[in-house]
Amino acid sequence: MSGADERKVSSLRELSPAIEPARDLWPQIEARINAERSTAAPPRPARARAVPPRWLAAAAVVASVAVGVWIGRSLLPAARPAAQSPISASRANFTDAPTALDVAYVPDPRYQRDRAALMKTLQARLAALPPPARAKVMASLAAIQRAKQDLQNALGKDPGNALLQELLVNTYQDEMRVLTDVHEASDPGRGI
Amino acid sequence: MTQAQPDDTRVDWEAALVQRACTGDSRAFERLYREHAGRVYGLCLRMTRDVQLAEDCTQETFINAWRALPRFETRSSLSTWLHRIAVNVSLAKRRKASPVGPSLDDEEGTSDALEWTLETPVEVREIEAAIDALPDGARDALILHALYGYSHVEAAQMLGVAEGTCKAQLHRARKLLRERLHVEVG
Repeated sequence: MSGADERKVSSLRELSPAIEPARDLWPQIEARINAERSTAAPPRPARARAVPPRWLAAAAVVASVAVGVWIGRSLLPAARPAAQSPISASRANFTDAPTALDVAYVPDPRYQRDRAALMKTLQARLAALPPPARAKVMASLAAIQRAKQDLQNALGKDPGNALLQELLVNTYQDEMRVLTDVHEASDPGRGI
Repeated sequence: MTQAQPDDTRVDWEAALVQRACTGDSRAFERLYREHAGRVYGLCLRMTRDVQLAEDCTQETFINAWRALPRFETRSSLSTWLHRIAVNVSLAKRRKASPVGPSLDDEEGTSDALEWTLETPVEVREIEAAIDALPDGARDALILHALYGYSHVEAAQMLGVAEGTCKAQLHRARKLLRERLHVEVG
């Protein structure tokens, strides 16, 4: 199995369990996953099951539109240099202000403005939601907050870790997604 | 910025990736694939002895894992969970290829505390070939126990056989390896 490996071993435990495939199998796996996703809902965490299906469906529609628009508008503006994406901006800011990681990850004033606006009306918007949905939103926001804190702590130890940076940006996106969902779901007549 | 925290707040990267993959993030799942593909493929290849089948089994393993990920308990080991899936997929593929497999009673199981050491060092290719030539049941038990480090109970559960049967298969594997390699397997 290991080809012409002439190394000698004196125990079976010295054999490596891992054998790398001769070709990259991921593209086919990814294609199958994407094909399934186009015909069915993606895997969801168990916590999502408790949300009423009607609200969930509405939120899913709103979220997919809102997040797409928001990302296009706030995170990836065509006119802005690519270096200002959250990940690259965070890397740049590490060298400028390594002790201000929490600020370094939200350098975009438009992000801050949008988030502030959504936070300002959050309580009123939450009040307009059905109690189970409200509870889910609050739990989600708390979980996101904890994740942000953990990631920021970890980045304090390992500031150059690209995976950490990506995960942190993802949590910011998750938070904005939830805030946008709440905003839109409590005011369905409003355009994006 | 919050100062560095003690270990109890350390982020578990694999759990974080699993969590993200559960929300449909295929990039996170790809990272998990990259991390585990070698061991999963190694298991599938050794069980099926066929490169094409092993590739199919590896792909099937990760696709099944993607589907079942929301049910995965993050407290348990992801690699063990993936290996269980890989064993199931490989056994099913192999059964399809040759429906009748050899069986072995569990009464003859005696290999409780084997370290799988070789009296004389042997070349890797030689020992891999000897493992490759073992009958399916003996090879499966040997791979899971001696190469992947699973206990008799875990290996038996993965293979869907009694613990005694697993031990018997290991006993048989030891005997056959000894004959083929001409060295004592202790």
